[in-house]
Amino acid sequence: MLEHLTGAPLFYDYLGWAVLLLAAFNAAQIIYLLWNKARVERAERRKDALRRLTVTAVMTSPTPADLLAPPAGEEEYEACSEAIAGILENFEGEIAERALGLLERFGVSGHYRAMARGGRWYRRANAVDMLSVFRLEENRGSLLELFKKERVASVRYRILRALSLIARGHDDITTLACLLSELPYLTPKYTEDLFYNAVTALKAKGREEEFGLFMRRIMRDDRVLTLVKRDCLTACRAAACEKAGELFRDYYAAYPEEPEILAACVKALARKGDFSLLPDALRHPHWLVRLAALKNAHLCREGPAGEIAALLSDHNYHIRLNAALALARSGERGRAALRAAAASGDRFASDSASYALEQETA
Amino acid sequence: MTFPLWLTVHFTQYAVLFYFLAVNSIYTLLVILAWRDIIRHAHLATSRSARRQLTGEFYYKPVSVIVPARDEEAVIVQSVRALLNLHYPEFEIIVVNDGSSDGTLSRLKTEFALAVSKKPVRLRVPHEPIRGVYGSPEHPNLFVVDKENGGKADAINAGINVSSYPIFCSIDADSLLEPDAILKSSKLFLEDDELIATGGIVRVLNGCEVRNGAVTDIRLPRAPLEALQVLEYTRAFLSGRTGWNALNSLLIISGAFGVFRKDIVVAVNGYRKTVGEDMDLVMRLHRHCADNAIPYKILFVPDPVCWTQVPFTLRALLRQRNRWHRGMIDALIANRAMILNPKYGKTSLFGVSYFVFVELLSPLIELLGYVFLPSFWLAGLLDTRFMLLFLVLVVAWGISINISAVFLDTYNFRRYRRTSDILRLCLLGAGEFLGYRQLMFIERLRATLSFRQTHWGAQTRKVMEKEKI
Repeated sequence: MLEHLTGAPLFYDYLGWAVLLLAAFNAAQIIYLLWNKARVERAERRKDALRRLTVTAVMTSPTPADLLAPPAGEEEYEACSEAIAGILENFEGEIAERALGLLERFGVSGHYRAMARGGRWYRRANAVDMLSVFRLEENRGSLLELFKKERVASVRYRILRALSLIARGHDDITTLACLLSELPYLTPKYTEDLFYNAVTALKAKGREEEFGLFMRRIMRDDRVLTLVKRDCLTACRAAACEKAGELFRDYYAAYPEEPEILAACVKALARKGDFSLLPDALRHPHWLVRLAALKNAHLCREGPAGEIAALLSDHNYHIRLNAALALARSGERGRAALRAAAASGDRFASDSASYALEQETA
Repeated sequence: MTFPLWLTVHFTQYAVLFYFLAVNSIYTLLVILAWRDIIRHAHLATSRSARRQLTGEFYYKPVSVIVPARDEEAVIVQSVRALLNLHYPEFEIIVVNDGSSDGTLSRLKTEFALAVSKKPVRLRVPHEPIRGVYGSPEHPNLFVVDKENGGKADAINAGINVSSYPIFCSIDADSLLEPDAILKSSKLFLEDDELIATGGIVRVLNGCEVRNGAVTDIRLPRAPLEALQVLEYTRAFLSGRTGWNALNSLLIISGAFGVFRKDIVVAVNGYRKTVGEDMDLVMRLHRHCADNAIPYKILFVPDPVCWTQVPFTLRALLRQRNRWHRGMIDALIANRAMILNPKYGKTSLFGVSYFVFVELLSPLIELLGYVFLPSFWLAGLLDTRFMLLFLVLVVAWGISINISAVFLDTYNFRRYRRTSDILRLCLLGAGEFLGYRQLMFIERLRATLSFRQTHWGAQTRKVMEKEKI
């Protein structure tokens, strides 16, 4: 039986050693686990106390740095930065200024900049995330430098997000768009979020028109993906760009063959209360454009009820259902059209109309 | 010794030795891969990123939560209440009453003041007829679908047809999602267009304290049978699935908690009626995407948590394991085109091969070991010293893998905070070899021999609210 194995001179010694090694490994794992548990619990308590102390100092003292000792190790930096990040996310004005002062005094931002330059990629990603929370303009240079040196796409996407939060003019957004084009398209939500941050940052500085300038610049630029243009339009809508009405209409005219751009324009205009494109969009051959128009038709006081009612018999499920919902929300005229559809022989139109009427009543 | 006997003896000993070495090496490798993956994830999935999604005006995708329920009268109301407390900007809950014979529907109707809804149902995946759809005036995002009995897969298909959102999450009626579970799992869909399915970790609810639909105190169950299942779940999810993740070969997303892109599930015609519908769906998703050259990812994420009740009697446990094993065999047979097929790349080479050569054949190889090794020893064909040392090595390596899984969990997630619970889990890592493994082996062997059966068997539940279960 397995003679050539068991017959080897040291076979049983090796087997015995393997068993002993495994037993020792198991014991070591358990001992380390218990020791680590105690260590982590102690560290958590310390971090919690430090976080609370930092928040209290910032909230109560005009010079919080005088009340706190500068962070010494990674753990203390973590506690300090989390406390400051929480304050920056929730406060503006003097309290936020104090938190930023503390950041500078304790060199927290510098610590994370250094961390973002070395170590494992997930540590760099975490450091970039922290830098993005601070929203410090002074970090732009180092973030751009990091982007150039960084090879891991996941970290690069995070650097772009950090840059989007500190955009101050159309040049910054153009740089952002150029850097974005160096990377594979990630997701619509990511790109929207990026430009939403940029628009919001510009709006906070009272320079919303800078984003409009950027949008005009890329309108005919073939190097920028149509998908990215669509995401920019969506970001404008989400950030409620007040001054971009003309821009949306121009995009609508410039991209008659791109249903996603057209739908984004219709939605963005509707959010501003501009329904001039609605009748055209309701007749558009692509269902996405019709759907975008229908989803916003109820916002229009004098909605094109006739055109919407005609869509109750559309070949697309989403269109029929949303036409019914739009009619239900558009006043007595719409509801009358729905009641007629509910009594009609078209079974799906009838079902959709009944459902929409029920929803409206609820 | 006659030649056939010589051949049998040699084949058996080599098969058992090779199997033991291969299986334990794979498990050890999975633990190592899982370590790498979990540490990365722990650094990236910070509370900040979750908060950003929760507070973002539009940085989310709406999710439909589908809850198939058959004879779940005891737990359904608490489950729905827990789901209504989810932290997520936009979601709907669709409970599918799969022809229950108890008061599941009436309890829902009473508790949530359900009224008949005319919500149109778009027939995109097949299922048994729907008797009615109900909505709740108190909770506009709650719908209850009452349908003819057709099984769990059929019920989820009905839920898919009723759902309105592009992503759906299917969970068991006896499970509780942590409030941020959807937030954490759906976040991945925002960051990666190639992601088509993801699953979170399923943890054992038994022994924990539940208040208002939320787990408030996490404890290891007192009963060894339930506590052993905690160990199994920890090993299977943390070291197993996270390890497969690293190899891009994840073949199972637990039926208790999975999040899917609806369009792609509709493209494969939804769930197939089988006892292992979760594994079957994931395998078909792999096939569909590979066949049609669609870039895709299927991932396991270790931090969104779903708490589920595990069987508390041996009979129920054996029935469940029998069903799981039959389900796996059925899924492998239905998707046999993926076995050692280079077209399916790593998924076929690692994931499918593991299930075929380790999970599927293990009861048969273990049978060889359990029957022949003692026989050979009794017949004087096996050296006593070798056999004893070999057995000790098998157990010690197995214990190592168990303790590593506990280590992985406790080091990174620290769910079980009591030292006594951690020590008990480690102890159970050894205790598992004293009968429990053998029982599971017998049941898997029975399942292998009866894999054509398609019954689920009745399940017993305990009420979860305000008490330890």
